[in-house]
Amino acid sequence: MVFKKEQILVNFITSSILVFRNFFFLIFYPYKTMRKISLEKDYWQILIIFFLVFLYFKLSYFLKDKPYRASFTFFTFLVNFFLTAGFFYFLSKFIKKKDSVNSFKSLLFSLSYSLFPTLIWFESVSLLYLILPPPRTTSILGISFSIFFIAYSLSLLFWKLILVFLAIRFSLRLSFYQILYLWFLYLLWFIPYSILLYQAKLFRLPFI
Amino acid sequence: MKAANFYLKKKMREVFIIEPNDLNIGFLTNFYKKATAYLKTAPFIIIIPFSFLVGLFIYLIFGYLIVRLTTLLQYGF
Repeated sequence: MVFKKEQILVNFITSSILVFRNFFFLIFYPYKTMRKISLEKDYWQILIIFFLVFLYFKLSYFLKDKPYRASFTFFTFLVNFFLTAGFFYFLSKFIKKKDSVNSFKSLLFSLSYSLFPTLIWFESVSLLYLILPPPRTTSILGISFSIFFIAYSLSLLFWKLILVFLAIRFSLRLSFYQILYLWFLYLLWFIPYSILLYQAKLFRLPFI
Repeated sequence: MKAANFYLKKKMREVFIIEPNDLNIGFLTNFYKKATAYLKTAPFIIIIPFSFLVGLFIYLIFGYLIVRLTTLLQYGF
């Protein structure tokens, strides 16, 4: 029993180091790192990433007016995440009927790691909300900050797009056009779905 | 030697996990390969200046609307 507990602790620490290492490498070598991640087998890493997401929801709970419980928001995030993964996986099966080497497990790993830019953006915006609460003004400082903020958000968005593209490419082995086609189909249902979540006051911007 | 061989085989299998992208038009395929080469390693060298340019461009085109957009995004978490 003691051995089992120790084993869990060792697994947790090892996976945490791997998650940290992969996050770091995704900044500098996104292509090579995502290729490695798509071959990953250690489920602890997904759990650690989801735990980081849960921590963010806990933090945002204290900053919002009349918020939902963090566990409920986290559950909604899980539904979003698995809907997204399921959508890409099942559609890729239709596209690539002959060659079905693509695996759902690989997609889960790579998509979880592609949450890294989202997590950074949401956490930094929450902290900025405390340090520099909105609204912004039209003074020189306000405009400069706005340009900086938009540039910062766009950088993370471009990085996110690169990571999601690589995640789908390595996990589902699809070509450039097939990925663009899937993205288009994804947005067709995801935009109305995000509006629905907004109206339910769950997410102002979808956490995906 | 055996370990090096094993590592090399593993690496080769990893590298050839997917076939190269072909966009069906020679010019486009070449452009895709050249453009993605910059994004495969340290993409922020390209992304950060490009994002700042887009931010400036948005300000020049839409003016003070950028301030409203920032305010909106700051409430978006």
